[in-house]
Amino acid sequence: MSTEKKSFSRRKFLQRGAIVLGGSVVASYLGCSPMRRFTAQKVESMDLPASISSLKPDFWFEILADNTILLKSPKIEMGQGVWTGLAMMAAEELEVSLDKIKVEHANTGSGLIDNVNTGGSSSTSSLYEPVREVAATMREMLKAAAAKQWNVDISAVKTENGTLSSSGKKATYGEIATSTKEWDEPKTPTLKPKSAFKIIGKVVKRVDLKPKVMGTAKYTLDSELPDMLYAVLVKSPYLDATIKSVDSNEATKSVGVVKIVREGNLLAVVAKSFYAADSAAKKVVVEWNTPNKTQQTDLIKLVTVGNGKEANIQKEGSAKSILKDNKTEVFRQEYRTPMATHAQMEVNGAIAHVEANKVLIITGSQGPSQVRDVVAKAIDIKKDNIDVHTPLLGGGFGRKAAPGLAAEAAIISKLVGKPIKVYNSRQHEFQNGVYRPNTHHVLQAKMTKDGTIEAITHDQATPDMYVRNMVGEIGLKLLGSDFLSAGHGASLMYNVPNKSVSVWNTDVPIPISIWRAVGMFPNTFAIESFINELAHKAGKDAIDFRLDMLTDKDDKIIERSRKVLETLIEKSGWKTPKADGVGRGIAIGNDRKSIAAAAIEVEIKEGKIKVKKVTNVLDMGQIINPEGIKAQIEGCVMMGISATLYEELTVKDGQIEQAYFSQYPLATLADVPEIQSFLLEGDDVPYGVGEPPLAPIAPAIFGAVLNLTGKALRSLPLRLS
Amino acid sequence: MKIDFKLNGKPTSIDVDPAMPLLWVVRDELKLTATKFGCGMAMCGACTLHIDGEAVRSCSVPVETIAGKNIITLEGLSDSEANLHPIQQAWMEEQVPQCGYCQSGFMMAAAKLIKENPNPTDDDIINGITNICRCGTHPRIIKAIKRAAEINNQNH
Ligand code: FES
Ligand code: FES
Repeated sequence: MSTEKKSFSRRKFLQRGAIVLGGSVVASYLGCSPMRRFTAQKVESMDLPASISSLKPDFWFEILADNTILLKSPKIEMGQGVWTGLAMMAAEELEVSLDKIKVEHANTGSGLIDNVNTGGSSSTSSLYEPVREVAATMREMLKAAAAKQWNVDISAVKTENGTLSSSGKKATYGEIATSTKEWDEPKTPTLKPKSAFKIIGKVVKRVDLKPKVMGTAKYTLDSELPDMLYAVLVKSPYLDATIKSVDSNEATKSVGVVKIVREGNLLAVVAKSFYAADSAAKKVVVEWNTPNKTQQTDLIKLVTVGNGKEANIQKEGSAKSILKDNKTEVFRQEYRTPMATHAQMEVNGAIAHVEANKVLIITGSQGPSQVRDVVAKAIDIKKDNIDVHTPLLGGGFGRKAAPGLAAEAAIISKLVGKPIKVYNSRQHEFQNGVYRPNTHHVLQAKMTKDGTIEAITHDQATPDMYVRNMVGEIGLKLLGSDFLSAGHGASLMYNVPNKSVSVWNTDVPIPISIWRAVGMFPNTFAIESFINELAHKAGKDAIDFRLDMLTDKDDKIIERSRKVLETLIEKSGWKTPKADGVGRGIAIGNDRKSIAAAAIEVEIKEGKIKVKKVTNVLDMGQIINPEGIKAQIEGCVMMGISATLYEELTVKDGQIEQAYFSQYPLATLADVPEIQSFLLEGDDVPYGVGEPPLAPIAPAIFGAVLNLTGKALRSLPLRLS
Repeated sequence: MKIDFKLNGKPTSIDVDPAMPLLWVVRDELKLTATKFGCGMAMCGACTLHIDGEAVRSCSVPVETIAGKNIITLEGLSDSEANLHPIQQAWMEEQVPQCGYCQSGFMMAAAKLIKENPNPTDDDIINGITNICRCGTHPRIIKAIKRAAEINNQNH
């Protein structure tokens, strides 16, 4: 890496955060935050073109007239609870109760832009220091202002529950904020030690709970602009279809229709209501060119180890030659995971109002700044003229990291000259989406006579999931293959003397994207299922087998992983006798320093696998919001069961075959197992919680079925026959 | 066609295409947005509301069929924030929602369930409610419904 690139990215990271007091910006925050360091390290270790490093990790606080504090979150709330985590961190240093903090999404127009999408379970960990630092700075500024007004030393001013006081004098933050004209910006104050935490780590109600229970929470589809019209898109169920001809005579005559819009392959009916637009859209007759003829067998063939570009991402010892020299003793297995969709409950939608030099976008996206860029390009307007507002997201899971419908809404609004609301049908979501790709894994190992692994290799075949999206074609070429997103989790965590891991990238003629836990999901399924098979073959206990390979005392991750497994043995009753007809399985994963493991019990009921009990142990470092973490674990368990037992998307003649929920069953209330969750704080900084607990679910179910039936079901979804 | 009905206790009158699904009447015409669109095909339950006390998927109910009937949406489930319906109380206690998008539908289905069955078992709940939640709030939904039944029984 050249030094020039480094200095470029460093300069870029020095962006301002702002604190607003009494209605105007009074302080800029220029500290070097972990988020910047985190991204800087990531970017620099990637050796990528500098163009992706324009990070503005800004956020602001504002004291409102009613003495509440507004926190404009640069991270997107999609159910994972990030608003609550950030509010807790802020309240801790501000010395206010949690209900005093109001959280909203920052909009791109105010200049507070997070160029990193919300995802990768990194929001809370990356903002742990910066949010607290800014909050503490704000508290000190308020103290200094009060001290000046009261003519006392700052050390004599106390803060408690949103109130400042000093020898008989008292004022709320709001009062001091409005009566102060000149502010002093203090140095970054020291942060509270963990022992002084009053809010962080405590059980609280999530900040968006009440609106969600009362039905007042606003999502994209609930948002409106005055004089707004509705558009319904006419799409082909075939991938990559282009318009051959359109007959919209009947549709034009339909009640309430304002206009039928066509630009390139964008075809939309604009009407006074969604119902009118939708009814008319059904009358549009389109002939499509359908160049994409992909079949399921093509996908399987394309995504096969040995095909495409190989990038070796882990090599210790000489695993390959050991396997080659001992062919007859090699244990080799193949695993496959299918294509899948996100099926988030809220379909993608957007509202756009395009005026001469001003564009307003309202859309639930995991990456508002990307939305802004896509809109700028679509209607050829300067980014600075676009303001993207983000309502709450009705689920994301990676689906809303893709651009969504903002560009379509903007194009239509520009053509019609009115605000436009547009959203997908469920069928569009299924058939015109972006998908988790299918993967193929080959695992090979040679064991010694006493049943320990001497050499192991893992080859993963996968399309690129996100790297091209992040850094473009050149970035992907530089990396060799997508081992950052699709290949995430492909490496082997165990202390085995000889190991080698490769990721094979091939492109597939299907739009691909990230799906909760990204590469951790397929890779953990393959690796941990294989480990379960090896333990089974060696006649060893599946947890002891793993502990025997977690030996490096100097490696903190290894130490924490041991602790997680030891806790799991104890809490799950792993070594106690099990009931008849029950199988037990386990799996563990290290997802960016969050260590998650699950012990699962299954039964076979009416010929079907039924998950009975799931015991989770998660070491995510510092606990911020324990109830929120437990909710995320439960969500991961349910999504994990769903993806392990039911979900599979297939393609036929260039068409995604599943168009409705009835064709793509998901886990329901009937699938709820007994769930127990135990949290360990193996570090004093927080790591992610939204995805890590998902990865162990599939291989632990695999292990339990193997334990019960002796059958190794090596393809997801797991089917007994 | 002009259609008269009661919405959350209020006499309401609208003049729309009689085939328009009730979901769109409630959301787009009457601006009550707690009731959600998830699929439009009676497969997910996000649009569940009550028609004359029955839990119904409103995306698949033509508005012409509700003339003279009593519609309750989540907005009308409680008389006030101070006096929450047991389902909403339990939902707060158990912190059920994640993204929240499916929750109105689940709460409306659950409110009907505990009205009919004051002491539901796990099986009653599993068989009685087939809505979809993608965030995986199912374990808390089951707990909250049982808790709501308890609150309900204490109140009576
Ligand atoms: S929107 Fe009515 S059931 Fe899905
Ligand atoms: S809470 Fe998100 S879909 Fe149920």
